Amino acid sequence: MIEAINAGEIDRFYELVQRYQQALFNFGLRICGQAADAEDMVQDTFLNVFKYLKTFRFETQFKNWLYRIAMSACIKRRRRSRFAPERELSLDEFLPSDEQIAVDTPAWAREPLDRVLDEELARRIEDAILALPEAYRPVLVLRDLEGFSTEETAQILGLTPGNVKVRLHRARLFVREQLKEYFSHDPHRSA
Amino acid sequence: MTPTDPPEHDPAHCRQMFAHLSEYLDRELDEAACRQIERHLEHCDACRACCATLARTVALCREMPAHAVPEAMSARLREAIEKLRSGDRTVSGARPD
Repeated sequence: MIEAINAGEIDRFYELVQRYQQALFNFGLRICGQAADAEDMVQDTFLNVFKYLKTFRFETQFKNWLYRIAMSACIKRRRRSRFAPERELSLDEFLPSDEQIAVDTPAWAREPLDRVLDEELARRIEDAILALPEAYRPVLVLRDLEGFSTEETAQILGLTPGNVKVRLHRARLFVREQLKEYFSHDPHRSA
Repeated sequence: MTPTDPPEHDPAHCRQMFAHLSEYLDRELDEAACRQIERHLEHCDACRACCATLARTVALCREMPAHAVPEAMSARLREAIEKLRSGDRTVSGARPD
């Protein structure tokens, strides 16, 4: 499709838009937190793709290239948005504490996924992701929501794979803490 | 870590295993490291519960429902692309005030 667009079939660019706009919009929502910023980011991204598609080198997967552009657009938009305070997440703040030793695996980790994930929980997860410091949020979103591999995430964000792994683990532990807190207020689900 | 290690909660060892739980869940560790973690999980209730809730956290993130694209966004995007096609290089992603 990209070769066809570059060869002059410009109308086919809208097929690219159709294919990726929802994923990009959701990516923007999860990184920027505001629908208006996500919309702007999607527009910035596609306009840049339109302008620079001829420079796209096929050794990089198109989707990775697209998300790299989207991430740059998010960084530009970020200055106008309210973001979670920047801080380092330490592994030690998430270590299981002694009082947890006797606790069995809670119900929310045992029940079928579709019984656990409802609208309220989805909102809670979105809030937890937005509360992640900026250095960690894109890593978790790309790996666990967008489905990119460690290598691809590293390439998109300009990090080493080792750095992606460290940030991802801490980001997951952070979100897990928020979920534990959420379920601790619901005796039917936390038991 | 060997199979003869004491079953009690050992903070130093837990921390070492705990640091690699995501890599374990993502199958990014070699076989020896996986076995080491599995042996630890067999007798450490805290790390086992932690691993289960971490795995569930990842699964929940992966199953998150997608938001629909606002109709106005698609229309605005199409308009901006058409402007660009017609040679207007000043068009950007900024929303009109």
